[in-house]
Order: sequence, then structure tokens, then C-alpha cells
Amino acid sequence: MELHILEHSLKVASIEKEGIQICAHGLIKLAFLASKTRCKFFSLTETPEDYTIIVDEEGFKELPQSDLISVADATWLALNVVSGGGNASSSQPIGVTKIAKSVIAPLADHNISVFMLSTYQTDFILVRERDLPMVMHTLSSEFTLLRVVNGETVAAHELGVSNGFIKPKLVPRPIIHPLSSPSNMFCVTSLDPDTLPSVATLLMDVMFYSGGSKEAGASGEDSTHIRFFSFSLIEGYISLVMDEQTAQRFPNNVLFTSASGELWKMVRIGGQPLGFDECGIVAQISEPLATADIPAYYISTFKFDHALEHQFHFVYLAQSVESLPSDWLINFLSTQITKREYL
Amino acid sequence: MSGSKPDILWSPHHPDLYVICDSELGLYRIGPVGGTETKPGTLSLSKETAATLLAINSDTPYMKCVAWYPKHEPECLLAVGQANGRVVLTSLGQNHNSTCKELVGKEFVPKHARQCNTLAWNPVDSNLLAAGLDKHRADFSVLIWDISSKFAPETSVAAEKIRLSFVDLDSSSVVTKPLYELGQNDACLSLCWLLRDPKLLLAGMHRNLAIFDLRNTSQKMFVNTKAIQGVTVDPHFHDRVASFFEGQVAIWDLRKFEKPVLTLTEQPKPLIKVAWCPTRTGLLATLTRDSNIIRLYDMQHTPTPIGDETEPTIIERSVQPCESQIGSFAWHPSSQNRMVVVSASNRVMTDFTVFERVSLAWSSTTSLTWACGRHLYDCVEDSTGGTEGAAETDIATKMRERAQSRYGHDTVQVWRNHLLAGGTDPQLKSLWFDLFYMKQCAEDQELKLQGNKQSVVYSGIKNIIKTSSGTTESRRCWSGSDRQADVPRFYSEERCLALRLCGWISRGPDINVETFLRSLEHEREWERAAAIALFNLDIRRAIQILNKGAMAENGDLNLNVVAMALSGYTDEKSSLWREMCSSLRLQLKNPYLCVMFAFLTSEAGAYDGVLYESSVAVRDRVAFACMFLGDAQLPRYIDKLTNDMKEAGNLEGILLTGLTKDGVDLMESYVDRTADVQTASFCMLKGSPGEVLKDPRVQCWIENYRNLLDAWRFWHKRAEFDILRGKMDPSSKPLAQVFVSCNFCGKSISYSCSAIPHQGRGFSQYGVSGSPTKSKVTSCPGCRKPLPRCALCLMNMGTPVSGCSGTGKSDEKVDLTRENKLAQFKNWFTWCHNCRHGGHAGHMLSWFRDHTECPVSACTCKCMQLDTTGNLVPADSS
Repeated sequence: MELHILEHSLKVASIEKEGIQICAHGLIKLAFLASKTRCKFFSLTETPEDYTIIVDEEGFKELPQSDLISVADATWLALNVVSGGGNASSSQPIGVTKIAKSVIAPLADHNISVFMLSTYQTDFILVRERDLPMVMHTLSSEFTLLRVVNGETVAAHELGVSNGFIKPKLVPRPIIHPLSSPSNMFCVTSLDPDTLPSVATLLMDVMFYSGGSKEAGASGEDSTHIRFFSFSLIEGYISLVMDEQTAQRFPNNVLFTSASGELWKMVRIGGQPLGFDECGIVAQISEPLATADIPAYYISTFKFDHALEHQFHFVYLAQSVESLPSDWLINFLSTQITKREYL
Repeated sequence: MSGSKPDILWSPHHPDLYVICDSELGLYRIGPVGGTETKPGTLSLSKETAATLLAINSDTPYMKCVAWYPKHEPECLLAVGQANGRVVLTSLGQNHNSTCKELVGKEFVPKHARQCNTLAWNPVDSNLLAAGLDKHRADFSVLIWDISSKFAPETSVAAEKIRLSFVDLDSSSVVTKPLYELGQNDACLSLCWLLRDPKLLLAGMHRNLAIFDLRNTSQKMFVNTKAIQGVTVDPHFHDRVASFFEGQVAIWDLRKFEKPVLTLTEQPKPLIKVAWCPTRTGLLATLTRDSNIIRLYDMQHTPTPIGDETEPTIIERSVQPCESQIGSFAWHPSSQNRMVVVSASNRVMTDFTVFERVSLAWSSTTSLTWACGRHLYDCVEDSTGGTEGAAETDIATKMRERAQSRYGHDTVQVWRNHLLAGGTDPQLKSLWFDLFYMKQCAEDQELKLQGNKQSVVYSGIKNIIKTSSGTTESRRCWSGSDRQADVPRFYSEERCLALRLCGWISRGPDINVETFLRSLEHEREWERAAAIALFNLDIRRAIQILNKGAMAENGDLNLNVVAMALSGYTDEKSSLWREMCSSLRLQLKNPYLCVMFAFLTSEAGAYDGVLYESSVAVRDRVAFACMFLGDAQLPRYIDKLTNDMKEAGNLEGILLTGLTKDGVDLMESYVDRTADVQTASFCMLKGSPGEVLKDPRVQCWIENYRNLLDAWRFWHKRAEFDILRGKMDPSSKPLAQVFVSCNFCGKSISYSCSAIPHQGRGFSQYGVSGSPTKSKVTSCPGCRKPLPRCALCLMNMGTPVSGCSGTGKSDEKVDLTRENKLAQFKNWFTWCHNCRHGGHAGHMLSWFRDHTECPVSACTCKCMQLDTTGNLVPADSS
């Protein structure tokens, strides 16, 4: 397997809900007028708490400076696992489930904090730039490491740091954060970039006016419903995550739907903000899921709170609605949980 | 191919059908313009062709790519790839074929929707349709569908059916299970089946090119590159593939797949289409966005490496099929170099044929060959000569013919050279007679003056006259007449020499032109003879000659009339005869008759009518001037005439200038006018060895003539010329450039046996005859160690080729200048200057007839290829 270290230098930022209007201009440019910017990596995720932006340095210039925007200090690099090379066994394609054991767990063992972004097309594992030597050292045994330089993929050389690494302590990783699962179902989809202009107004509505429409619709009676929407435009590929109801607002044949029309259940990790420095959160969840062979998406988001950097993790688990009730899932996970804190 | 981006596909089997696809599919038939009826809706594509719209298909929205079924039947079956990844089979026009009906409408749906980027039908197993899709995190991007697969029985695909229930489709025509799934977690941007093996599929993936083998799908060959768009195999060279990235095209050789064999110069705008010409090898057409030109790359020479160091060459050019910006183009599958182009904006189509490059080559012998497309044109000079009006033969042809007839090589009867030159050019005739007379005089003078005045002869009349002294004046009577002529005549030794050089008189003290007159009579030059007789004041002889001329076979009877007029000559100043003659003479056609009367009617010393009659040969005018112009007038006249001759480049002027710097000036203007370096070279070599040969112009002519002989492969002629030149100009002989030293003692092995500088000769002699000391010549004369061996017969150097009649052992002294060469060429010792292996020339020649490599085993030197002329044969026989 190949691990590609992509050339994007990424910034992760959080925009307060009330700050969205001052950023709207920049965000619209990044999302819908990609040809006007030199941005190649853009992701916007809305949660009930905030908007999380992942954007490369070119795209970051489009955003204004404001107290309502908080930016994580570190520069992040995106890793991408590709089943390239000669080893193209026609086994199941890999997702977070498969890379959990090979990437996420070893990084957690070495206390490397990761930030996950799953899209329709692939999974990105974000690591801090300063952790890169450690990451490469950790993963070099399992993967062919390749680095993308000016669009060309070249072999990455280890940065020569092999001393001073703490021997990983292979302790069992209990789930220590509370889990919650909202009742609404989500779909992960994409669309043809050529048709983007035709649904641009609808997407803007979903992105920026969600609060308003929700109140107007007054459909949000169900408190277990959660407001969640994600849009990403990465190297020309669009990926969307939205709930079923939002998806129905799109015209027919615009969204790419899977032949199976699968829907995903959300599990939210952490009742209170989780620190960036805390490691192994993804691993806690992904390992047991991988063991049970349950496919999953991850999207990490970021909440800045009083000089403390925190992050939330969301997990989406694929399941046929009828066959796997959410109770089962929680139960399944709860067997792994030592410190039970349900919400 | 969405709305703004049209594409064209030619029918694989119908040379007159093509499809344009943008938002819909349109089927067109192309045909000659202005048939019997001009149907409405016919679109003109070019001056000769027009297209008719046959059918439109707009059943499939969100088209991303289209591929035409490669087999004859069903004929208009198309596969359309859509934005959501589905592949739909559709057709255009009426088609009642049952297989077609069964297939049309069939859909192939991937598990996860994403854009279908490319489609490719397997050219052999036409049931296989490969589709390249964008990436999905949990799916494959290269799907190979089997279009003949029926919807499988219920049991095996129950699960599929449940999933399909979401997608409300007529499930009977939907296929969801591909035959092969390849390339997981990656996007596929372009696909093509390899022609060298129909089980191999080349795919342009996100960051690499991959070759999938359907017989073992877990294996793939791949190479990391950015150039992954538009992969396409050269139909004429199945290992050659083109792909592109933005503005750059990469050419790959599948046998050496690690890196591109070529990258073409980058274009400022991104490319949109790259296609090999199906009717012409190695021609690649490329199109960039927002452009109205198509760029063509001719890679004709690349597949065959000629020499070890030949770089592949590409010839780049561009064509502009139409004014507007081009949306797409497609080569015609069978018509040579033809393509149809569709404009980017409004579906304007143009039928266009790329004009083939013309390559042209001159041969060394005036013929011209050019190639265009599949035609080869040969243009040769009309050798029949044709009519009078036909252009004169090219000087190169003339020189070549003259070289073959050994022009310039007659060193005894020098005048005969003009006959060798064809005998038709009066200037050449005059030149060679001048040189002949000069030679005669020089030899004569040599006897008389012991050579000290030899160079005077060659310095020309102009210089001879200047040295004139002691001129005597005399008045002679008309011979055969008692009347006293009042014409003064001048004599001096120099004037006498000049007359000899003019050919009027021959050796001897007295001035007697009778021999010359006889020879002119013999050549039937009656008028000239009569004039010269008259100038020598023998009016009776002149009349006699004219009569003879009138009576001769085919003679001109008018000459009698002239004779009659002549006989009435009177020196009465105011006679009617004089008056009539001076005015009517101008009507005489023949210049000699004209000057005769001019002479008779002019006053003494005022002979302009004779001297400036340009139709009269220079030698006759000069001789006349020498006889009748005084010391004051003569040099002035000669100078003027010389300058005229120099300016005109008239070879008759050599008489005046001789072979001096003036002569070179004159020859220079002659060469400028005619490019006849041959005559110039030979002429300058005829004179006495002197300054003229050192003149850079003369050296230039000589070198050019030698080059010409080389170019014509007249190597024997060139050798003859060099020998002649060496005799005249010993400084031109090249010095020995190569000496062979003994491996052991380091002394030159030719030192003791030959004083002749030419190493070739030296060895030939060495090869057979004994050295003066009669020692065994297979060893070094210095140290007696053996000499190198011939690589083929393994005999030591100095041993003749076996089987050759061994004249070598004879003791006779050898004269190399003799005809019978003591050693035949095959006995010469020769070697490669690169690897230094060699042997007998005969052996080497026969070895290299069949080989290019050195005969010494383990030596890989390609000796023969290093010798550019080694494979040529001389065009002239020895």
C-alpha cells in the first residue's frame, strides 16, 4: 500500500455561527468560484456549535481576520492511503475501517494527534507538519511513502529522525469519551462540478441560512435531530454530507447516489470539547469498528473555546436502516467502553 | 462533451458517416458538394464536400464521453458515459437489426455514482467495454462491462435487486455487475486497449499510467507521471503511446515504460485532444483549448534507430483548418491525412486535408527529386536537347560531360580541348587556341632564348606590346598591283610575336600568312580568309578566295558580287566607288566583309570601323591593330579592348591578358557569369607555374572543381586532375600525413624502403617488392620484429594476398609512375583509424561488403559506418 503525503499546507479554522456573514464572501469564492482562486483544498463543515474550515494556504488568504474566526496554530499535512503500486489485490476497497489498524492505531500508539476528513472520494488523514518525521518513521514499515511535489509523485525519504522516540506503550485503548447518536440519517454524496452552478443557490441556502430555514420550517421539534452539513472541494472533486431531508431538496439526477442508496447513522463523540493534543480518539472508535468490519466515515471538526483548542469527532456508520438499529450500535460500542458517559 | 465541448467520431466502418456529440448526438453523412439536388439542410464542409444531418439522438442527458462500437454489425451502436457514471448503449438512425434492438437502451450502473470520464471498446473482443470513472473512497474506477451479459438469475443477485429497488429502473436492462473491477481508490481519466494484446488495458489514473492485464487482474504495470490524460496507441506502431498533461504531450514506448521516450514542447494552453493519424505513420495531431490551429508532430524517424548516436527528430508544424476556434477534430479512418474539424461555439464543421510535407533533394547531377504524401516526383534535365528555343544545358551537366570526355587533359595539342568540350563554344575555341599558340611560342622561345623570356609569352599581348621598341614603319604596295599603297604598316619583334600569338603567322622571320589562309580556306571560313588576305594588302588573293568560296559546295554566290565590288577598289579619295562602299558596307551581314570595305574606305590610321567591329574575332582585330596602329595608338587600343573583355568576362580576352593577374580578373568575371570552374581551373594550370596559381581565386576554383568531381563520384577523374595539378604546381601535392611505426622499436617502417611521401604508395611498394636490402619484409627493417598481421588471413604485413600472381619477389627496380602498378590495390595494407585493426585492402573490402563491424573478434568498432564514403562506388570507370 502507498501512503501519499500531499503537498497542500492546510490550516484548520473555526468560525462562530454569528461570524458566518463576514466570511460568506470568501467562502462562496472558495466553494463556487474555484477557478478564481488558487485554492486546491477546501472543506466546510457545519455543526450545531460552529463552522469548521480546512483550507490550504492559498485559500486561507480569502478569509478575513476577525475575532469570530479562530485558527489552529499548526500547519497540517494531508495523508492519503492509496492501494497503488503492484499490490492491487482485488480485495475490498479500503476506507477508514481498513486504514484504522494500519494508520490510525500506530499513530495513536506514538501519541500523534490526527484530524480526519472523509469525503465521497477518499479519506484524508491530517497530521501536524511538525509531526511528519514521526509519522513517516511510524508508518514506513507498513507503507510505501510517497510525496507529491509539484503534482509529481516521488518517493519520500525519511527525515532521518530515529532517535528519541518514546517506545510506544501498547495499552488497550478504551473509549473514554461519551457517545451520542442523533436520530436523523445522513447521506454522503457528490455531484458533477459542471452542474455546480445550477445548484449553487440551493447550496448557499443550506450552508449559510440553515438556522433561519430551520426556524421557519419549525420542523426541528425533534431534539435528537442534529444540524450537520459538510461541503468539500478538493483537487476538483466535490463531496457533500447532509441529512436525508436536505438531500431531498436537490433536483433529481444532480446528486450522485450509490446504487444501493445507502444512508448513514451518525455517532458523535465527546460531550464537551476535546483537545487537539489528545490522541487516540479516532483510534478508540475505529479499532473496534474495524474488528467488526463495519464501514465508517470520519469527519473531525474544531471548536475553539477560551484559549483552549478542542475538537469534536463525528463518526458515521453505514448500516441498513432496517437491519441495524442505532441501539445496537451504541450497545456494540458500549461493550468497549470502560468509562461510560452516555448522553 | 458537455454542452460547450463538442467532439467528433468517425464511423469505424463507413467512410462517409460521423457523429458530432455535444449536448446531443448528431449523425452526419459526408458527400461531394452540389450533387444532383441540393437538399435543404446540407452543410458545406469544404469546396468539394458537404454534410447532411441524418439523425439526432438526445435521449441521453449529461453525456461525458462517447465510443462507437468497433464491429460492422450493429453499425450505429454507441456507448455513452454519463455524469453519474452510468454507461448507456444507444443508437442513431434506423436500425432493425435484432441484436441492436436488444442492446440499445441497456445501462451499466456502477455501485457508487461519479462521473464517467472515458470509454473504450475492446477492438477484438467487442463485447468488452471499459469505462473509466472518477474516484470513490470505496469503489473501483475502471469497470469493464460485458455488453452481452443478461440480467443474471434471481438467486445470485437477490441482494443487488434489493439495492436497485431504490433506483426505479426497468431492471431487465440494467447491469450492475461489471466483468472486471480495476483500480481502487483512484480516478481514471483516460483509457485505451493496447493493440499488441487485446487483454491489456492502458489506463491514465490519477497520478500514474497503469497497464492492467485481464488474465491476471492482481498484477499491473505502472509508472508515476502527470501525463495521464488522453492515452492513445499509435495504430502503426503498437508499442508507442501518447498521453498528455496540461500543455505537454509525452510519448511512451511500452517496451521501456519507465519514462517517456519523448516529451513534446509545452504549449501555453492546456491540450484537449491528441490523436495519431490512422493513415500516416508517426503523425500526431494535437489541439489546445481556445485555438484555431492544429499542431502536427511528425515522428517518422523515431522508431528506427539508425546509428548509435542519432537523436530522435520531430518535425513540428501547424495547420489552420478554419477561422474559428476549434472544438475538436477527428482523423478520417481511411482517407489519407483527412480530418473533420468542428468549431468550439456553433457546430460549424470543416472538411480538411493536411497537406503532406514536401521533402526535396538535389542530386549531384542536376536531377531533382521530391516526395509528397505517397508520391515521389523525379525531375531530370531534358537530355534530348530539344528545339532551338530550349534553355541551354546547365553548366553542371556540361562540366560533367566534359569531365567524362577528359576535357582539359590534352596537354600536347592544347587546342583540341575545345573539341573535347563539345566544339560548339566559340569562346572556348578561342581560349584553347590562345593557349595552344602561347605554348607553341613558349616552346619556340625556349629554344631560342633559353627560357629566359618564356614568361613573356604568357603575360599576354597587352604586356608584350608595352615592351615594344624599335618599331619600323613601312609602306607596301598592294601585291599584284603596281599602285603604291599609302597605308603605313608597323614592324617590331614584339608585334611579330603578337601576330604569332594571334595565329596569323607561324614560326619564322618573315610575315607570311599564306599557311593561315590555307587553313581558313580548308575550314571554309571564306570571308575571314579574304579579310586577312586583304589586310595583308593582297587584294587579288582576297578576290580569289571569295571566288573559291562562291564556287564551293553550298557556297554563297553573293561572294562573287563582293569580289566584283572589291576588284573595283580605287584609292581616289572622292570616287563614287568609295562613297557607295562606305555607306553600303553597313548592310553587309558578314562582319568580315563589312570590315574589308571599312579598311579600304578609311583613312590611314583611322580604322575604327575595323577595330571596333565587335563581331570580328578579337585575335583578328588585335592582329590588325598590331599591323596598322602606331606606337601611340596601339597600347591605347589594346588597353581599352582588354578592359572591355575583362568586364564582359570574354575568354577571347585571354589573348590580351595572358595568364596574369589581369587574366585572373577576366576569368573571375567569366566564372561569375557562367560558373564554369572547370575551364577556369584547367586554363590557369596551363600557364607557366607562377604567381597566378597562388591567387586565392584560382585555388578556390580548383578546390571547387575537385569537390564537384568528388560529388559526382568521379574519383578517378579527380585523381587525374590532381596529378595534372601536381605537375604544374608541385606545392599542391599533399605531404605524407601518416607514418606507421613499428610496435617494438618505434621507427617508421617505411623509412628504409621508400622515399615517396604518399603512405599508400609506400605500402603498396612495401607490400610486394623487396626492400633495397632484400631483407624479408614481413619484419620491421629496424629491429626485425614481425609486422602486424592482416586481421583476416593472419599473414604479416608485407605478404601479398595469397593467390595473387606473385610478381612481388622479382628483383626489378620499380617505377611507380609506370602504368603497371607493382602492387594491386588489394595488396595494400589498410586499417581503421578508430580501432586500428586492419589488413589487406582486398580482404577488408570483401569483409565489409557483408559486415559493419570490425573483423577482429571482440572488437565492436563499426569501422565501415565511420567511413561515410565507404559504401559508395565511383561513377567513372578507371
